[in-house]
Amino acid sequence: MRFVIDHLSKHFERKEVLKEITFTFEEGKIYGLLGRNGAGKTTLFNCLNRDIRADGGTFFLDENGTPREISAEDIGYVLSTPTVPEFLTGREFLKFFLDINASSIQNLRSLDEYFDMMSIAPEDRDKLLKDYSHGTKNKMQMLINIIAQPKVLLLDEPLTSLDVVVAEEMKQLLRSQKDGKITIFSTHIMDLALDLCDEIVLLSHGVLEVVEKSNLDNQEFKEKIIAALKEESYA
Amino acid sequence: MLNTLRLSFSLKNTYRVNAILHSLKQIPLLKRLLPETLYQVRGLKVFANVLTALWELITIFLFKYLYFFVMVCGLELVRPELQSKEAFLHVLLLLTLIGSFMHTNMFDATRDKYYAMILLRMNAREYTLVNYGYYLLKGIVGFLPWVLVFGLGREVPLWLCLLIPFAVAGTKLAVDSYSLWDYAQTGHVRNDSKLKKWPWLLTAVLLPLAYLPLLVGAVLPLKVSAVLWVLCIPAGLLGLRQILLFRYYREINQELLAGLFTQIDAVQKAMKTANEKVISADLTITSQKNGFEFLNELFIKRHRKILWRSTLRIAGICAILCCGVLFFMTIKPELKADINEMVMTWLPYFAFIMYLINRGTGFTNALFMNCDHSLLTYSFYKKPKFVLRLFQIRLREIIKINAVPALVIGAGLSAILYVSGGTENPLNYVVLVCSVTAMSVFFSIHYLTVYYLLQPYTAGTEMKSGTYRIVMVLTYVGCYALMNLRLPILVFGVACIAFCVLYCAVASVLVYKYAPRTFRLRT
Repeated sequence: MRFVIDHLSKHFERKEVLKEITFTFEEGKIYGLLGRNGAGKTTLFNCLNRDIRADGGTFFLDENGTPREISAEDIGYVLSTPTVPEFLTGREFLKFFLDINASSIQNLRSLDEYFDMMSIAPEDRDKLLKDYSHGTKNKMQMLINIIAQPKVLLLDEPLTSLDVVVAEEMKQLLRSQKDGKITIFSTHIMDLALDLCDEIVLLSHGVLEVVEKSNLDNQEFKEKIIAALKEESYA
Repeated sequence: MLNTLRLSFSLKNTYRVNAILHSLKQIPLLKRLLPETLYQVRGLKVFANVLTALWELITIFLFKYLYFFVMVCGLELVRPELQSKEAFLHVLLLLTLIGSFMHTNMFDATRDKYYAMILLRMNAREYTLVNYGYYLLKGIVGFLPWVLVFGLGREVPLWLCLLIPFAVAGTKLAVDSYSLWDYAQTGHVRNDSKLKKWPWLLTAVLLPLAYLPLLVGAVLPLKVSAVLWVLCIPAGLLGLRQILLFRYYREINQELLAGLFTQIDAVQKAMKTANEKVISADLTITSQKNGFEFLNELFIKRHRKILWRSTLRIAGICAILCCGVLFFMTIKPELKADINEMVMTWLPYFAFIMYLINRGTGFTNALFMNCDHSLLTYSFYKKPKFVLRLFQIRLREIIKINAVPALVIGAGLSAILYVSGGTENPLNYVVLVCSVTAMSVFFSIHYLTVYYLLQPYTAGTEMKSGTYRIVMVLTYVGCYALMNLRLPILVFGVACIAFCVLYCAVASVLVYKYAPRTFRLRT
């Protein structure tokens, strides 16, 4: 499976944020999306999630050579601030989600198995989500997106505000879940991108480009990325 | 000093002009016409500048005129015989005393001060003094014409009229210098944005002292007033000296303004916690249902406090009012004919009452803040069939909630109609109950439809739709206008039922067609 973006463009009045982006993402890889502040990472994600309408271009899934239009459930979007329905308990939220998606979820497990998978403590499972800690809310949000098995998972700065233990758990989880899907991960933290991602993609001047690591060591690779990002004069 | 004055003016002006341009950009149709580079366009800036200049003139003259017309001479409008120079000077003096500690410029925590002294680090002493001076001058200039018009009209001596504006400034100088002295002694900073107990207490004492003596004819004699007015001048001069010598303006402003922006963040946060607080913490609340019915049942049960409890309370009050009217008619039977006529023709009035008591906005607000704002970030929740399924369930719930008071009112009105003498056409009773219920159904559908079609909030729970605001205002205006309509029950009732049925049909079509696309978070 491949996720193809074809001549996607978006402008706000006269400012062209996305300039006919054309790019192909490959299955099973985690892509680190880097870009300067204001480069348009969130705009790109919002377009892909159809939260805002693009001006032109398309994006679609290419499964064994046959293109297929993307539907809502193909995309999972995890925001940097976790959002969970405050009036439900963790267990109720999970039950609700499984109820309405029962037909589309493969190898369904019990609720507690899912909580165990995310290492959410038993005493937290029947608390209202409004009383969850930031990290546990984040785990809930991630859990829902993992069970939904979207073909494309967009993550907007997801690990920045987590404590080191939860962040490490999440990293492990993302690595273990990357098969069969395309994960695109936007971040400002270079080390995180280098540590977790299989490919580094820059969004600069409104276009996407891969930074080839070839045979550079980490330090040289970092310098190459910074140099490429610096080219964008107004950011 | 002059440079500081120029800078602080241009800063305040920029800030006001941009605020005007920003609010223009919020108006739906205008929004498209105005370019993103709005803040660069010279013509618009000139226009906004004219507006701010006008505003400045209004604050100088118009407000002062209103002050004299309403506050100082208002009592004369009702009791013209009370008009006298003594009364005029008496009221003005006491109001001036209240104003000296309730309304000043030096201890107001405002944004332009924050920008100038905290962000741009302008010299606090110069900035404060220059703006304070301008404020006093503005007061004197604005006062002078009206004190002459109103004072000379009441035969106050010219010299006293000319002195009064300066005396008013004097009281402010005296009180503010006291506050500065108090800071130097105790470290306590006065903050007029959140007044403490004693200014209110003092106002509570002085305000009756301003007006009550007029009614009993015991106002201060001219000579006493005049002496007190004159005394304000040396008091002011002493104050002025103290204010000019004071050294801790930066410290005072730092403390005064530090809380300003955390306050604004705190409002947003408080709104969020206030919304979370209405969620019942009772974990024995459960649901045996599945899927969306499960979600809905838990939502309704955990928000019982703001949904069902308040609607039941309203229904109870309506029932008591109806019983009251029925009881009233049994003890005063002669009023029956009037009441009968009222019920027969006042049905349009109830459109406004139904508007006031319906829970539509409370429901959609809670839906967004505690449920949709989070669930809308999940793609599964935005599948068209799920959006529509949940819309149906929610519509059913809000109709149920709003129907309770509507049925009580409908039944109550029918009972009143019957007891007050009845009507020849029994159809009136049916129409009465049906039309009030139809109104409640209309409001239920209206608010939910508008919410689904315009979903006005962002993920950060910020309201971002001018169209939504306009629709809300129009709803109010429409219902308010209906209050002036007097139509027989049959005519209005049938029209009302027909309108509600038509509206429901149109709304359902619109929701089915557009909601899957429009029901998402604003970006």
